[in-house]
Amino acid sequence: MNTDEPFGGEAVLEFDSDAGRRSFLKYAALVGVGATLVACGNSGTSSGSSSSPSGAGSPSAAGDDTSQFGQGDLGILNYALTLEYLEADFYAKGVAAGSSLLGDSLPLIQPIAMHEAAHVQALTQTITGAGGKPATKPTTKYPDGTFTDKMKFLTTASTFEETGVKAYHGQVTRIKDKKVLAAAASIAGVESRHAAILAEILNKKQVPAPVEAHAPSAEVVAAVKPFLGS
Amino acid sequence: MLNNCLSRRSFLGRSTIGAGVVISGEAAIQLLSTTRVWAAAAQGDLDILNFALTLEYLEADFYAQGNQAGAKLFTDQHAKDLFQLIASDEQAHVQALSDTVTKLGGKPAAKPTVKYPDGTFTDYKAFLKTSKTFEETGVGAYLGQAGSLTDPMLLQAAAGIFGVECRHAALVGKISGLPAEGGIYMGATETAKTKEDVLAAVKPFIGG
Repeated sequence: MNTDEPFGGEAVLEFDSDAGRRSFLKYAALVGVGATLVACGNSGTSSGSSSSPSGAGSPSAAGDDTSQFGQGDLGILNYALTLEYLEADFYAKGVAAGSSLLGDSLPLIQPIAMHEAAHVQALTQTITGAGGKPATKPTTKYPDGTFTDKMKFLTTASTFEETGVKAYHGQVTRIKDKKVLAAAASIAGVESRHAAILAEILNKKQVPAPVEAHAPSAEVVAAVKPFLGS
Repeated sequence: MLNNCLSRRSFLGRSTIGAGVVISGEAAIQLLSTTRVWAAAAQGDLDILNFALTLEYLEADFYAQGNQAGAKLFTDQHAKDLFQLIASDEQAHVQALSDTVTKLGGKPAAKPTVKYPDGTFTDYKAFLKTSKTFEETGVGAYLGQAGSLTDPMLLQAAAGIFGVECRHAALVGKISGLPAEGGIYMGATETAKTKEDVLAAVKPFIGG
């Protein structure tokens, strides 16, 4: 197998519900070589080949293209940078609103704001170091009340984090450079922590599935699009 | 891949370990620390999966025993719910990793025998501390192997498990009342752990 050749982020099993998640054990053993240990598809949407076990080894799943952000790993890094810029902007505004917005959740949110800013910086440096041109900070917009209504803020935060986690996992099969992979994974894990804590605050399921889902870039871009642009 | 499977088989064949059979602590430590598990990483996806499986077995056992202790251990419903959720995740990881190794033509590592310090399942604080150790060790162990798994699909699945261990680590940090930074979150990036670090962290729990 040529491991440099990215092949699709096909989900072989999907958990559309908690019941589905819990019945994971019953049919965890799956299809052929390389596909048994499943990555869970994002609920609701799936790539074209996600339901086909024979999809393993096929070309990249539809909508899993980051070329709009640049070629190869640099494109993936700029894709991640764009998402991190959005998160960093969002949390900076939230933390600026302070305890009047976040109340006693503020101490749990402040570190997140710092992490996202650090991710922006780390990705920017990585891209520059690799000879690429970092994506510029996107203009952002938020629905009314995002920074005055705690529930609205936290719900949006949760959406960003869960989307971010899936976005990183979605690129795992596409990243070529092992160093980039390790860097991306070390960031993704932090997004997972954020996602869990936000779910905890919101009284939602802290761990949506025993294996985190992944999403193609098209789906991620669609999810954050409402927040981009002036 | 075929070659790896064959060599893996002959490696485990000597000890005739079967899935579901409990192996001695000594053998489990050997499995975790053997150079085969690590040195052949670039061509040893199965070995990495079995390494992960051994860690997941430890976690799954730990949480299963915690849940069994139930009200004697958990002081409130929230703790009970959280640790039930975590237990089911770890059990799912064991199952998925074990099934994957089998499907790849390998032999899943057997469940190690485990031991815990006195009071682990009666002293809530001791339980939380051990839980945090297991979760952070799992986080570091998965991240430490990210560069060595060769099959992209396995890597993506491992990333999905890694993220869940990160969630657990954060949630356990929070329920333990640890500080946000350095207790719930461990900085802006996760830190990979070497084989030595992972082994040192879990060794006290293997054997008996």
